[in-house]
Amino acid sequence: MTFSPPTVPPAGAPGASGRAGSGRAASGPTAAASTTTAPGPAVLTPTVRQGTRRVSFWLVAALFVALVATGALLLVGASDDTTPLSPTSPAPGGTMAVAEVLRERGIDVVVTGSLAETEEAASTNRGSATVLVHDIDDMLEAEQLEALPDLADDLVVIDPSFGMLQALAPGVSAAGTPDDDPLAVSPEASACVLGTTELEGEVSPGGSSYRFTPGPGALAEPDADVGESSSRISLCLASDSDDADDAYSLVRIDTVAGAGGADTDAGTGANSDSGADSGTDTGTDTGTSVTIVGATDALTNGAIADRDNAAFALTLLGANDTLVWYLPSAADVDGPPTPGELTPDWLTPAILLLTATVLAAAFWRGRRFGPLVIENLPVVVRASETMEGRARLYQRGSARLHALDALRIGTIARLATVCGLPPSAGVDTVVAAVAALVASDRTAIRGLLVDGVPRTDADLVRLSDELLALEARVDAAARP
Amino acid sequence: MAISGWFVVLVAVGIVPVVVFDSAAAMIAWLAFAIALAAVDLVLAGSPRAVTLAREVPQSMRLGESVRSTLIVTNTGRRGIRGIVRDAWQPSAGAAPTRARVSIPAGERRNVLTTLTPFRRGERRAAHVTIRSFGPLWLVARQATIAEEGVVRVLPPFASRKHLPSRLARLRELDGATSVQVRGQGTEFDSLREYVRGDDVRSIDWRATARRGAQVASASASASAGLVVRTWRPERDRRVVIVIDSGRTSAARIANEPRIDTAFESSLLLAALASRAGDRVDTVIYDRRIRGRIQGAVGAELLNRMVTTMAPIQPELIEMDWAAVPGLVRSVTTTRSLVVLMTSVDAPGASRGLLSVMPQLTKKHLVLVASVTDPDVLEAVTSRGDRTEVYRAAAAERAALDTARVSAALRQLGADVVTGSPEDLPPAVADRYIALKRAGRL
Repeated sequence: MTFSPPTVPPAGAPGASGRAGSGRAASGPTAAASTTTAPGPAVLTPTVRQGTRRVSFWLVAALFVALVATGALLLVGASDDTTPLSPTSPAPGGTMAVAEVLRERGIDVVVTGSLAETEEAASTNRGSATVLVHDIDDMLEAEQLEALPDLADDLVVIDPSFGMLQALAPGVSAAGTPDDDPLAVSPEASACVLGTTELEGEVSPGGSSYRFTPGPGALAEPDADVGESSSRISLCLASDSDDADDAYSLVRIDTVAGAGGADTDAGTGANSDSGADSGTDTGTDTGTSVTIVGATDALTNGAIADRDNAAFALTLLGANDTLVWYLPSAADVDGPPTPGELTPDWLTPAILLLTATVLAAAFWRGRRFGPLVIENLPVVVRASETMEGRARLYQRGSARLHALDALRIGTIARLATVCGLPPSAGVDTVVAAVAALVASDRTAIRGLLVDGVPRTDADLVRLSDELLALEARVDAAARP
Repeated sequence: MAISGWFVVLVAVGIVPVVVFDSAAAMIAWLAFAIALAAVDLVLAGSPRAVTLAREVPQSMRLGESVRSTLIVTNTGRRGIRGIVRDAWQPSAGAAPTRARVSIPAGERRNVLTTLTPFRRGERRAAHVTIRSFGPLWLVARQATIAEEGVVRVLPPFASRKHLPSRLARLRELDGATSVQVRGQGTEFDSLREYVRGDDVRSIDWRATARRGAQVASASASASAGLVVRTWRPERDRRVVIVIDSGRTSAARIANEPRIDTAFESSLLLAALASRAGDRVDTVIYDRRIRGRIQGAVGAELLNRMVTTMAPIQPELIEMDWAAVPGLVRSVTTTRSLVVLMTSVDAPGASRGLLSVMPQLTKKHLVLVASVTDPDVLEAVTSRGDRTEVYRAAAAERAALDTARVSAALRQLGADVVTGSPEDLPPAVADRYIALKRAGRL
């Protein structure tokens, strides 16, 4: 297309003035000006379609990688839960195997994280639920511990703390870690009866063990009828070795509920290890039980297949149709209100909105106004760099005489010019002429101009100053 | 696509409904509202691709001047374009303003004016034009970059032309036209004319007077009648060959000016002077290959061609090939001429190549070597405040001594040497030329 001169709109046209940097043609192109006219604009910015085509390969590739990664993760079934004895942990220290086997056997395993959840889960299956409590971090307070026995008829407590033992089974105290011998399920002195099942065999050692001490405030001695309720103590899992006296890794307290609850009369002092008399009065519907389990190693994924661990674990946990696996968590802690409870509801959306604003602002300021224009920059070499480098070399090498000689040669050349001597004049001639001009001692002049050797840098600076002073004197003397 | 600050403000205002309604749904609704508005704005924005561009730029300009570049944007789309236009010049083109707000209704055209003040000589280019076209709500914009080449050739500044009038006046003093004509200056025989009172008696040509006297035998009445004097004029039609070293050493900066730029300044002043004086000037810019050659130009065209050739030439980081210079000069002219070498006279080692070819040149030609001296060096010689400065002064003395030794060697080989700081060198070269002409040595 051809160009006519740019149109000049009538004055006062909308938007005709007040636009910085733009204006209508104030003057036509001069004769020297060149006018280039593009036949059609060559747009460098890709259109949306071109851009999509360009990135589509990478989009598809990224999608494919994401799919493969997701599939691989699902296949592997990786879990990041590494809590010891957690029913969702596949690690050797977890108990996922037991939980899964229980599920396969038709037992409903419910994992809960707070007391309220546990209450809800247990109450829906009241009478046919086992509640397992494993308070690994000592989260539960005293009043929460007191509520535990009311959750279900069968309570299994794994590795309890001191406070927990006090609340749930007074009279049972910790007895340290058993030795490395396998634990016999039914020790010599007593048979182990869990519910209605009598257990045999032995399980893996490890965990902790407990001792039963009847006394004031404690439960009645084994097999004692106390008031209107009767308790029966089963002591299982003792080490075979001789020095494992009185320590058991499983203590089960069965209480047959009477009318007046546990009126704990003072038990008569008795030998604690006089095994439970099996067979009578076991596991009625109205009875409740608290089982303290210290043999934690026997339940783990890593050891479940050893010895009789599996039978022990399934018997212990599979007595009822539902198993509520309660792992107390931070939700149970009843502290001061958290910051999250104090903040208003709009705070989170407001923060999100501010984030969106910041992102928009970043895009606003960061969006490039077209590509950069490249330009070859010239080399910048300062010519005096060689001089500076030589000066630093002199200084580093302490080449004082060398430096002073350079200064002297320059001075002598200038003095010769001032004295009217030819450039070819020798040093002695110059010395003589200078000495005559400033009426000074020839030896001193010669010492300054030729003979003096600078010992220190201070000497060098002094001599250099004297050279300048001599030049000034000669200049003054030569120009009357 | 691009967004404006107003869109950011719009998103930020969403804090009001979020706090008032106290819910996350309000935030989502507000963001959806903002994005919907932006989408509408984007759809309604005029296409920045549907434009035709044309650019009006002067072909060339001097460094230090400003020119106006006009970009004519014609909107060929259906909707008007309201937005910002960026005319993308190289940074050293010194374009201002780089952004311009425009409002171009459909089918009309507008000029975008940019003032270019380049700070480096050579070809300064514009690569493309970017147009950001906003929608009616001024929230989001469509953006497109369109290739549109533009080029302006920035010529050497020739700042030393301020010395030209005074040098031309001195040149005229050499000429017979002025009253200060001194016998034997310069100079070649011009013509014979009749004696007028005040003429130098030494310039009377007795032989011509005798011949004339024989012709006009008896008509002489006055004493002076019949006397013929010779007039003289400066030599004309001599050859001046300028060889500019564009090698490694010419890249060094002295007083923030590369040596090659000083060489260009000196060459331009010398060429202007010599062409006015009637001499022929040829210029070659050389390092290992000929990077610029101006031959056979006279008058006003000479300077024009010189600056145009010199403009894009930058120093090459290679060693100057002095061995080829005699052949180069021979290729320009075979007659005796003034050969001016614009180079650097530094250390003896670096000048070995120059010294080795000098006999070949001086045998046939009159050689003038012009070199820039560093004012920093002269300054460093006299400042001796502390230990560091004394060592610096010693190094400066050594550098000056090296230069003096090379200069002396060149003079021994028959060449003439002119040195000066970047500001002083061009007039110094011109003065030396005038002196040579006055002495009739060309």
